[in-house]
Amino acid sequence: MSRNYQAIVIGAGPAGSSAALTMARAGLDVALVERGSFPGEKNMFGGLLHRMPSLEKIFPDFWERAPLERHIIKKGVTFMTGDSSFSTTIEAGSFDKPPYNGYTVFRPRFDRWLAEEAVAAGATLITRSTVDEIVLKNGKIAGVTILGRSGQISAPVLVAADGVLSFTAQKAGLRKPTFDPAQMAVGVKALIDMPRETIDERFGLVRDQGFANEFVGCTEGVRGGGCFYTNYDSLSLGLVFHLASLRTSGKTPYDLLNAFMEQPQVAKMISGGRLLEYSAHLIPEGGYDMIPELVGDGIIVAGDAAALCNATGLNLEGINLASHSGVVAGEAVIAAHRAGDFSKQGLTAYRKLLEESFVIKDLKQARNAPHMLHNNRIYQEYPEMMCDFMENIYKIEGVAKQNVTSLFLKSAREKVGLGKLLADGFSAWRAL
Amino acid sequence: MNIDEIFDNTSFTVDREAHIVLNHDICTGCDNRGCVNSCPARCYTWSQEEQKMTFVHDGCLECGTCYVVCHKNAFTRWRYPRGGFGVAYRMT
Repeated sequence: MSRNYQAIVIGAGPAGSSAALTMARAGLDVALVERGSFPGEKNMFGGLLHRMPSLEKIFPDFWERAPLERHIIKKGVTFMTGDSSFSTTIEAGSFDKPPYNGYTVFRPRFDRWLAEEAVAAGATLITRSTVDEIVLKNGKIAGVTILGRSGQISAPVLVAADGVLSFTAQKAGLRKPTFDPAQMAVGVKALIDMPRETIDERFGLVRDQGFANEFVGCTEGVRGGGCFYTNYDSLSLGLVFHLASLRTSGKTPYDLLNAFMEQPQVAKMISGGRLLEYSAHLIPEGGYDMIPELVGDGIIVAGDAAALCNATGLNLEGINLASHSGVVAGEAVIAAHRAGDFSKQGLTAYRKLLEESFVIKDLKQARNAPHMLHNNRIYQEYPEMMCDFMENIYKIEGVAKQNVTSLFLKSAREKVGLGKLLADGFSAWRAL
Repeated sequence: MNIDEIFDNTSFTVDREAHIVLNHDICTGCDNRGCVNSCPARCYTWSQEEQKMTFVHDGCLECGTCYVVCHKNAFTRWRYPRGGFGVAYRMT
C-alpha cells in the first residue's frame, strides 16, 4: 500500500470528515484514514448534536440532508438526590423551527454520512486502518504508516483528528506525553429501546420534537453528572465522571449507571425500555488550559485531539467545536498548498481562524470553570440543598409556615453550611 | 444492566493480539489501582489472594480511561486495535 496525496486526515469523526470535505471541495487530493470498519463505528457521545453552523454553510439544507433523529425543543436541568429531584425546563418556540438548535443523532450513522459527503466531494476514504507512525523525510513530515501493514501513505501535511488521546499529536510532539486525570472525564451510556409513541406521550413531544435533560447529584458524590436524550424510538441515558474523582472513589461507572437508572424519577422515564447498547468514551474536559500545540511543521491538530470541548457549562459542547475546527483546518491546508509552505508558519492560519471563532473564544471565556467544577459539593450537597428547599416550600405540616428566606437558610445550613455557600458563591461568580 | 453481559449489548470484533499489555510487576506494586473500578467495561481484575492484576482485552470499549487513570504507566503497550478490530458500535 503506497500512494501520494496532497493531505492526510487521520480519523473520520466530525473534525476529520469536516476537514477532508473542505479540502476535497477545493480540489485537493485528500486521504481520510479511519481505524473502524466504517466511520462512526468507534464513536460515542452523550447523544446531542448541537447546531453545526460550519456544516450549514456547506449544506444549506443540512437538517434535511443529514441522518438526524429528533430536533431538541425542550432542555432541562435536574438537581437530584437518591429519591427526590428538582427540575427546570425551557421549551422555546424558536427551537422548533429551522435552523434547529440541536438534534439527537446516532454516531455510527451521522459520522458515516459526513465521511461519505467527503468522499462524494472527492476525498479517498481508507477504513480499517489504524495510523501507527509518522513518516519523516529529510526531517519533514512525509506521511504515515498503518498498523500491521507494510508501505505508507504519503502527503506533505497531516490533520490529526484521531480523537481525545491523539497519539498522532503525541508523536509529533504537540501534546504532553501524559494526561492529567483532573482534565479528563469518562462518559458511559445506555441506549434504551422504546416505541416512538411512548416517547412522544411520556415527554410531551409531537412530530420530530426531542427533549434533552442534564442531571446533577446523580453520581453518589463522584464529580460528574448525567444526561438524557430522546431519539426517535430509543432513549440515551448516560453519566459522566471526572477521572480524578472516579479513580479514588472505589465506585464503578456501571454500578453508578445502574443506580441512576433505578432512581425513582429516572426509573419512570425509562420504564418498559430494554437495553440496546452500552458504550463509553473519554471526554477532554480541561478546557482552554488543556489545548495542546495546535500546529507544527506539516501537522494540524483538530477536534477532541486538540481538546476542543466545552463541557463545563450546561450546554455540553464538543461535536460543533470539532466540526468547525475541521473546516478551519481544511482551509489552512488549502492556503498552505497555494503558498507551497507546510511549515508551522505556513499553517498558522489555522490557529488564527480558530482564535477568531467561537471555538477558542468560548473556551477562553470558560477558562476558570473547570477549576470551579472541582468543588465536590456541587455533586451532592448542593442538589440535596435544592431538593430539600423546594420540598419544604411545598410541604404542609399543619403548623405556621416559615418564610422563604428562612427556609432557604435552613436547607443551606443543614446541607452545605453557610460559610461554604458564601465562599462557593464567590468563586462561582469569579469563574463565570 | 449487567456488566458481565457486555457481549450481549455491545458488539466486538476481537483481535487475537491484545492492544493493551501490562507489566504486571508494576500493578502489583501499585498503591492505587484506580483502573479496576474506573474501567467502564471491567477489563481489570485485581486478585488480592494472588497479588495479581488480570487484564482482558476482549470487551474493551477503547474509551481510554485506563490510559489516563494509571499513574504508574504500567503499560508495555497501549494502542488502539488494528484497523477493523475491537469495539463496533451499531447505534449509540
